[in-house]
Amino acid sequence: MKKPIVFSLFHDQSVFMTAIMGIMTFLAVLSLGLALAIGTGIVNWNRQWDVHATVQVTNNEKIDTIKRVFETNQDKIDTIRQINDDEMSTLMKPWLGGGNGVLKKYLPTMFEIKFKSRADMNTVGNLVGNNARFIPHHDALRPSISAGWKMVMILTLLLGLIIVTIGTCVSFIARNTAILHKRELEILNQVGASDHFVTKQMQMIVAKICTTACGIGFIVACPILIMIVGVARSARVGLMAMLEISGAGWIALLLVPFIIVLFAIMVTKRTTLKILNCES
Amino acid sequence: MTPQFFFTNIPGMEDNTIISFAGVGARYENNPDILTDVSFNISAGSFYFLSGASGAGKTTLLRLIYHLHRPCRGTIKIFGNPTNSMSRDEITEMRHKMAIVFQEYSLLSHISVFDNVALPLRVRGMDEAKIKKLVTKTLEWVGLAKYANANPKTLSGGQQQRVSVARAIIVQPSIMLADEPTGNLDDENASRLMELFIQMNKMFNTTIILATHNSKLMETYRFPIMHVENHKLTFSGPTHPHISAKKTAPEIHDVGYFADLSKQFNDIGNK
Repeated sequence: MKKPIVFSLFHDQSVFMTAIMGIMTFLAVLSLGLALAIGTGIVNWNRQWDVHATVQVTNNEKIDTIKRVFETNQDKIDTIRQINDDEMSTLMKPWLGGGNGVLKKYLPTMFEIKFKSRADMNTVGNLVGNNARFIPHHDALRPSISAGWKMVMILTLLLGLIIVTIGTCVSFIARNTAILHKRELEILNQVGASDHFVTKQMQMIVAKICTTACGIGFIVACPILIMIVGVARSARVGLMAMLEISGAGWIALLLVPFIIVLFAIMVTKRTTLKILNCES
Repeated sequence: MTPQFFFTNIPGMEDNTIISFAGVGARYENNPDILTDVSFNISAGSFYFLSGASGAGKTTLLRLIYHLHRPCRGTIKIFGNPTNSMSRDEITEMRHKMAIVFQEYSLLSHISVFDNVALPLRVRGMDEAKIKKLVTKTLEWVGLAKYANANPKTLSGGQQQRVSVARAIIVQPSIMLADEPTGNLDDENASRLMELFIQMNKMFNTTIILATHNSKLMETYRFPIMHVENHKLTFSGPTHPHISAKKTAPEIHDVGYFADLSKQFNDIGNK
């Protein structure tokens, strides 16, 4: 079949359908893109701090014991750095305010350590035992990471809602077209058109409209997504700085318009067959 | 008109039966029956007029045969197959051997005359080159070749009816149902259209049921008459209307089919 015969009738709804499908694709690409960016950011962030820990010595009498532990386990430690008093004062300034000089003597001694592996970190952590507070960074970051995953979940839920909306819109458009052009469907019936033929006609038009709409939606969404991720990274704060869409992520995003077109074609087939069966 | 028995009582006719009704009733939703206990057999190659007052049930009878309407009771057999339990695909398959023409033309106004006539071939998935050849020939035959690219809405009533007939006839149906096809035509064009149907019937053994109000037409062409009155169907007129020259309809790609007919209908309705 070279061209759709009957459903140039769809023109009545093609502007509306192109607009709605374009917007839906835009939102779907944006929500999936942000979910991927945040997800990748969390994974990268986690990986970055996975072998980091802070040792906080509150009892000055235990400092030598702790240092000895570090010395005897040098093979497990990649880097170690004692946070000096000035850095501590700066870190604590929001809570302590002025009077650093007086409070200095109450500040704990802190070490920032990067271990060679997670197992090494656990071994040293056990040796530190009750002599000091051993704080793995991934534990400290857990609330932020949990919040990040929750955002990914919300965006995934949003993507699901967008897909449901697309299905509903396509179904209603197919239904409206069938109602508006009941007479034409009857004529097709009269000249011996099979359900398969009518459905194929509808699918061809929906595919054509959706390909255009989804293409536009994707093209508009991509630069906006790049801009959002770029702005977030430029903030250089925590998880925000780690947002990223990988190559695989972009391939997944590229698949979104194709999946939406296929989904729309599938919904059209289902709806049209349902309408035709109801009419018989 | 004198009601008569029909072909069921003629020995050996059953094998040739193409349309069979047994105790068929029809109604629309919960309204009273339009047709009650209709039973008859029609053999292949017959030509019938279908008469009756407006609203008597002529169109309903044609719709029942074409399976555009389901009977509320009784059994309908087309080509020997009961239609009551047919699936939608089977109905479509059955309709590929039938055609129906309505008084109101039933043309698609957003596509050209050519595409309207090509529609039944396209829905059958025929090759475009063959479609072009057949449609061109058919349009020449009904005298509308020069209107191929025109919108049907720009044509006169008679011309639109010819497009509708061309669309029906292009599939070379075994059964042709025509619902008041001459209703919007003047006498001359009505006669020409009748000649077309008669040629189809004689040359290609097409079974034709033609619903009409036109008593002059029925007097001129003395075919048996199916008469719908008081929800019942009765028959009158000659019982052996036609002995066909051919037993089967020609193949759909046989352009000669139209070449033969075109001699009769070259300029139908152009005057």
